[in-house]
This record gives sequence, structure tokens and C-alpha cells, in this order.
Amino acid sequence: MFHVRGVLQGRRVLSERKTITKNSVFRQEFPIKGGDFSRAGEVSWAIKNLLKELGLSTPVALHAAIATYEAELNIIMYAWEGRLVLSVSPGRVQVVVEDSGPGIEDIELAMTEGYSTATLEMRELGFGAGMGLANIKKNTDIFLITSEVGRGTRLEFTFLTNGQRP
Amino acid sequence: MNSGTRHSVQINPEKCIGCVHCMIACPTKAIRIKNGKALIIDEFCIDCGECLRFCPEDAVESKTTSFSDLKAVPYKVVIPSTVLYGQFDNATLPNEILFALRRVGFDYVYEISTICELNNSALEMYLAAHAQPRPLISSTCPVVIRLIQRCFPSLCDHIVPIEPPRENAAKILRANLPRMTKIPASDIGIFHITPCPAKMVSINHPASMEKSYLDGAISIRDIFTAIYQTLRQNKEETIMSHLFPETIFSGTGVATALSGGETRGLKNRRTVAVSGVRDTIRVLNQVELGLLKDVDLLECTVCPDGCIGGPLTVENRFLAKSRILRLVNLMGERTVVDSSDMNVLYSKDFLSFHYPIAPMESPPLDNDPILAIRKANHRNEIFQRLPRKDCGACGAPDCRTLADDIVRGQAALEDCPFAKKEAT
Repeated sequence: MFHVRGVLQGRRVLSERKTITKNSVFRQEFPIKGGDFSRAGEVSWAIKNLLKELGLSTPVALHAAIATYEAELNIIMYAWEGRLVLSVSPGRVQVVVEDSGPGIEDIELAMTEGYSTATLEMRELGFGAGMGLANIKKNTDIFLITSEVGRGTRLEFTFLTNGQRP
Repeated sequence: MNSGTRHSVQINPEKCIGCVHCMIACPTKAIRIKNGKALIIDEFCIDCGECLRFCPEDAVESKTTSFSDLKAVPYKVVIPSTVLYGQFDNATLPNEILFALRRVGFDYVYEISTICELNNSALEMYLAAHAQPRPLISSTCPVVIRLIQRCFPSLCDHIVPIEPPRENAAKILRANLPRMTKIPASDIGIFHITPCPAKMVSINHPASMEKSYLDGAISIRDIFTAIYQTLRQNKEETIMSHLFPETIFSGTGVATALSGGETRGLKNRRTVAVSGVRDTIRVLNQVELGLLKDVDLLECTVCPDGCIGGPLTVENRFLAKSRILRLVNLMGERTVVDSSDMNVLYSKDFLSFHYPIAPMESPPLDNDPILAIRKANHRNEIFQRLPRKDCGACGAPDCRTLADDIVRGQAALEDCPFAKKEAT
């Protein structure tokens, strides 16, 4: 038996999604392997550079890099495998992170700054300070998290870039 | 694309055979092979000198000051980098090297280690006065400055706004030499002896002032033989130079030739010293992600083991490092800089940047957001059609870069021999 919990959090929520034609969306998928600390940060680095190439401002690229770095690390630390999908369209940058892993039992608790289930080993590496999910939320405009214990976790976060290019 | 007129390295087309060594080694993917010759793309080059290290044909030349350029200068002043002291055998002491430089033809030889120590004290004062941002990044390596301007623009305000020792030494000399020597200022030319070509760019195109206090930089490689021969031919006189020890050396200052040299003086601070261009890029990325906020000072030098590993040095860096460490031990850790002098210079902003370092960001795929997205999609489609062998045969360092060049209109799919074969 498993249970599903979802929390919707964020500063602003889009009331309706604009119709976006295929040609005005950039989409790229990044696979992430659990336990592979040596490659931590590679996806976030690629995303930071991609967003700059797409003409987004440095602050947006940096917020996205920080949020994806945390998401990437969460998969590496806790899940078996996962993937991150970046979609960029004029006005918004969206990241969907899905993993197959143990899932999160109490999302609200996991969102608390400083709460961590990291092992001593992870902490010795300098990870697992319990800031990850909170840091993602802090750096994004819309943040959505759903998790299924024993199955995995899904994060969806969006940066609204209206008033700026894309 | 051009051959990099602004930069400190240039490709000699006579010698270049169009192999891929420099192109693959370049950390910012700034080299392409066009018509059988290597070309440096100005906007991407950070002057790290990796190409110079890796070229098997000796076709990458540094645009440093040559001896013939010096002939026209009436009063020649030289400020050798402390790296020079590690280039000769263990028996050759700094005093002898400075003596030899006078013999080689310089009118005035200025020993820089004191200024290096002064710089360390200035760093300490700046750290104490500024609680934010963290980590602060030392400004000594000009390549790190370019790297931050181009690839990590958000870190520009993390750079400690204090000019590196070579500039401050030249500034002090410019202010005092005309009075001391009665030589008109216009007749004085001040040159640095450098282990890397990047110092030349920081002189010709400074990032934090209108005009450098230095007139040029001479490569250690170019001047080595002249010093070596002078030392051999004038053995007795060289030994005499010890009987008139006019120069005060600073052990702490000499140590700045090595990675960690700037941070070792800061005893009560959390510091990190990184060397090597790839590790520097990795760490700067971590700083941009906010991961090193508990560090006070980050010292980055893009040459392995610090300036001692510069591409224009002669001696292998391990031997040179051991010699520098021996000298540091001989000279001891005593301070030679007077703290009240230091306070005066610091409070007068004598050592500071004239203006802050500004970002130099590379252009997006397209200024129109929709077109940029289309180009990025197109680039991924092209990449799927490439063999991912990263062989360099197309003239780009890897398949991803070729795809990027194609959407930017700088290359064609047919440049790839594999894609071309498939098409026919």
C-alpha cells in the first residue's frame, strides 16, 4: 500500500497555460544516476550555460542553476535513478525532475530548513545540510512536489521570466 | 573569427601543421582549425596558455616583449617575478640572479617579494573591512579575471579590488624613480619578467585601470639563456654580489610564486587555494552556486601549482617548487613590510583598482528569444546526426561545438567527414 501526498507552493501560479507551439519550446532531457557523486553538478552547469545561450539574464540562469543543482544532488544522494527535463519557452523556464527512489514520507517536514535524512557519510562529504528542497523553493517562482513512498518523487519548478527575454 | 589580435598568444602559420592538440586542450573551446591552420577566436580566449603548452610544433607563440623592443628604451627597469628564482640550480641565489639582470643590460632591477608581502597584508586588511561577499577572490592571476568576466560574470564583485604586486611595484617605481635617478619619466620603461603570456594582456588591455604601470613583459624562456650565460661567465663577480646585500627579500613574498602563496600569510582566515585551469573553472562554478560561502579568500591560479607552473618557464615545476620552498625556509617568515607604511598606502587607496571589473558576457544564440529557442533545438538535431567521436577532424574541438558553430553560421555539416560520407 502506498499513499500520495502533494503540496503546491509558490509565489505565483499561472491561471492558464498559453498555447505554445512546438517550435517555440526548447526541451532537453538529462539522465541522472543515483550514487554518482563524481558527476554532481554537471546537469546544473549545462543548464546554466544553455539558459545564457538562450538569452536569459545571469540572475535567472543562476537561480535555475542553484535549484537544479539541489535537485540533481537529491537524486544522487537518495534515489536510484532519475531524469531532469528542461523546457524553455518565451516567458518561462520549467524544470521537471522525476526519480525512482524511496520517495518522501512527510513532504512538509522534508521542506523544513535543516531537516535531513542524510547519512553521516553524506554529511562528511559536505552534503545533506537539509537545505535542498527549501533552497529550490526559495529560488523558483512556482514549486510543486509530489511523492510516492517506495516509488519516487517528482518536482516541478518554474521560473517566470516575463519582462525579460524568453 | 580572427587570429586573436587582442591576445597574448598567436599561431605562427609557417609552423602550424593543423593538428588538433591545441584545439582539444583549450578549456574555453576558443580554437578551430580552418584551412589547415589553427585559429584563435578572440571572444572566447582567456589567455591561459594551454595551447602553448600542448603544441608539438612550437607554433603557438607568446606575444611578450622581445629584446629588440627594449633597445629603444633609454632607461630600462625590470621587475622579475619571484618565479625566476626557482629556474636556476640550487646554488644560484636570488641576489646573483638580480646581479646578472644588471649585467644583461637593465639599468634598474627591482625585487618584488616585498611588494608581494605588502599585497598579502592589503588582502588581510580588505578582508577585515568587508564582511561580504564571500568568498573573496584574489586578483593576482589575470586569466582568472578574464575567466570570471567571460564565464562567471556574477563573481566580478567577489574579486578583491587590489592591484596585483607587479602593477603596484611598477606604480611605486613610476612615482619615485624620476626623483631618485633624475631621469625624465618619459625615458623610463618598466618591464616585468613573466612566467606566463597572460601578463602581456593585462598590460595591454587592463581590466581595472585605464593604463598599466608596466610597459611590457619579457618571457622567462626568452631571458633565461642571457642570465644563465652571465652567471657562468662572471662567477667571481657574482659571488661578490653577496658582499653587498642591498636587497631585502621577503620569504612570505617569494612564496607567492607557488599556489597557496597568498593565502598562507592569512593565518586567521578560512582560505582555499586552487591551481590548474580546469579545477579553477570547477571551483568558480561552485562559488556561483553559493557553495563556498564559508570561505573568506579563494586564491585561484590557472597554471598548475601556481605561477611556478607557467607555460613560459624553463625548469620543470616540481624542481622549481622545491627550490622556492628552500628559499622561503632560508629567508624565514619574518615580516619586512612596516605595518604603519602599509596603513598609509591602504588608506590612500594607493593599491586599489581604478575601477571595478566589468562582466564581458558572450552573446546568446540569437537576440530574438524565439529564434534562440529554434536555434537551440536545431543544434540538438544536428548533434544527433554527428558521430560523437570528438575527433576534431571537422576543425571544431568536439561534435557539440561543431553543432554550435553550424547554428551560429560559422561551419557546415559537411565539415564533418562522417556526416559527409553518410550523405553521399
